[in-house]
Amino acid sequence: MIDETIALSARALKKWVRNPAAVLPGLFTSIFYLVLFGNSFNPTNLFTAGLSGTLPASVIAQIKQSILQNAFGGAPTYITYLTAGVICLILVFNMAFGGIDLVLDRQLGYLNTLLTSPIPRAAIYFSGVVQNLVKVMALALLTFLIALVIPDGLVLPSGFGPLNFIGIFAAFALLGFGLSCVFTALALSVRSIDSLVAIVNFLTLPLIFMSNALFPSTSFPDWLKAIASVNPISTTNEAARLLIVNGTLSSSQLSSFAGDMLYLIFVAAALTVLGYLAARRALKAE
Amino acid sequence: MTKIIEAEGLTKIYKGKVKAVDHISFSVEEGEIFGFLGPNGAGKTTTIKMLNTLASITEGRASVAGHDVSKEPGAIRDSIGVVPQELTADDELKGVENLMLTARLHHVSGNDARKRTQELLKLVDLEQAADRKVRTYSGGMRRRLQLAMGLVHMPKVLFLDEPTLGLDIQTRKKMWDYIGKLNRERGLTVFMTTHYLEEADSLCNRIAIIDKGVIKISGSPSTLKEKVGGDILTLELSENAGDLTEFFRGIPDVSDVTKTDQTYRIKLPKTERALPVIVEGIVKKNVQIKEISFTKRTLDQVFLEVTGKSMRDEDASESDSFLQNVMMERAR
Repeated sequence: MIDETIALSARALKKWVRNPAAVLPGLFTSIFYLVLFGNSFNPTNLFTAGLSGTLPASVIAQIKQSILQNAFGGAPTYITYLTAGVICLILVFNMAFGGIDLVLDRQLGYLNTLLTSPIPRAAIYFSGVVQNLVKVMALALLTFLIALVIPDGLVLPSGFGPLNFIGIFAAFALLGFGLSCVFTALALSVRSIDSLVAIVNFLTLPLIFMSNALFPSTSFPDWLKAIASVNPISTTNEAARLLIVNGTLSSSQLSSFAGDMLYLIFVAAALTVLGYLAARRALKAE
Repeated sequence: MTKIIEAEGLTKIYKGKVKAVDHISFSVEEGEIFGFLGPNGAGKTTTIKMLNTLASITEGRASVAGHDVSKEPGAIRDSIGVVPQELTADDELKGVENLMLTARLHHVSGNDARKRTQELLKLVDLEQAADRKVRTYSGGMRRRLQLAMGLVHMPKVLFLDEPTLGLDIQTRKKMWDYIGKLNRERGLTVFMTTHYLEEADSLCNRIAIIDKGVIKISGSPSTLKEKVGGDILTLELSENAGDLTEFFRGIPDVSDVTKTDQTYRIKLPKTERALPVIVEGIVKKNVQIKEISFTKRTLDQVFLEVTGKSMRDEDASESDSFLQNVMMERAR
């Protein structure tokens, strides 16, 4: 099964690499969210707007600092806080629409040629999961780099090292894997691009808004806070932000990071199984 | 001769109501080219899908290469090659890459895969184009590549679903050459569907005419034409001939005679035997032939007689316009 999974994933990725323009739409989404959203909705400016005449500049700077400290976990800039959220958003959107390739494979008859070949059904599912994951993780990496180079963007702490980086992307990869399972199973189950787009549109925005991706959940009403607290997107952001903001973790921060990762592993495993069951059903003889 | 495909009472009902295939039984001998001929929507593709494990069997049973289709789908997939109606070779990959991938998915790897890929590229005359992306291929080249992709693991039975759909007549004839050659030189058994009469006629050892999910008649193209149809001889005789209808009917190898004014339309199941007798009779009666014409029997005639409609009147199905558009795009 592993060889077939690799062969099929390689096919999809070969096509992707040969068409570099395919990453552009995703890249633009990252830039728009980081640069446009990050600056226009920057809460530190939003809440201090109109104070410039009434208070001295040093006080305003203090208020901004206090907002970041209290609401945004001590991130030095809003975009530093936002970066993890935008990467999650990139994961969700691109995983969701990455399924279009699989629907096309069905519509164009390619899936049928796979189904008449002596390859395990699981290989068809897992190759969908892997190809989607690799494509979207590349985009996530680019998003991180963009956040680093834009003005007033991502500011990393002094103790930030390769381990922080690995930890951050391990969290993203776990979330990405789970999402990829869901959206691969969905793409294998629908018969047309139209229905995929309809379902995906219904799912993606609530997934993002019911999490701490863009704003901290502390200000949410209780019902939304409850949903956001179990949303794995929130967990991913918490884990990633711990490492992005703090650099070196204290022992309590380390255990909270470990707890987050365990939760993400559990969610990814559960979604792998559920996705596989749904995919198996979708790939059964008609 | 052993039977390599056997179907008994094979039935497919979609969603509990649409009867796509209705209790059909047939068998295919090893080394034979067997064709399913019928209009769009007749149940040809559904039958192929059942034999290929893509569609479940609602009722009846089928076996391919000694394996039961429902019980041993894995063994079936190992022993068959499938060339679908759709052009599924990957646009963005090169011809040779498509073949190598198909080989790998059929567990043919390393040197074996490279060797067979080269052989097949040669067989379908695509050696020169092997390193080009399929995007740049013409419709005929894609069909040839598709054919090669179905053969890379040396299957016992090759399924061809409308192998020349959308090709012009010259390219189509070229495809027939390849398929015929494979059959003759390698003894490959071919099960194919087509709605082109000429294709069934020139390529298949035996055909079954299928309409609305039912096999109407089966046999070799020449037997069918003999059994059902007949050549049509049209004779316009001089005024002094009188009514010769009964005379023509009396000839043993004449199956039907109609008369309009002095023009007779005579149907001949065995022209070579009937014609001398007819001519001799006319000469003896001292009747002059004013005009004579002859139409060779065709499968279309057979089709018309067993289904009540002409193949040529059938419109293309419009069920999947998206797919049709993509197919046309690729076939160009």
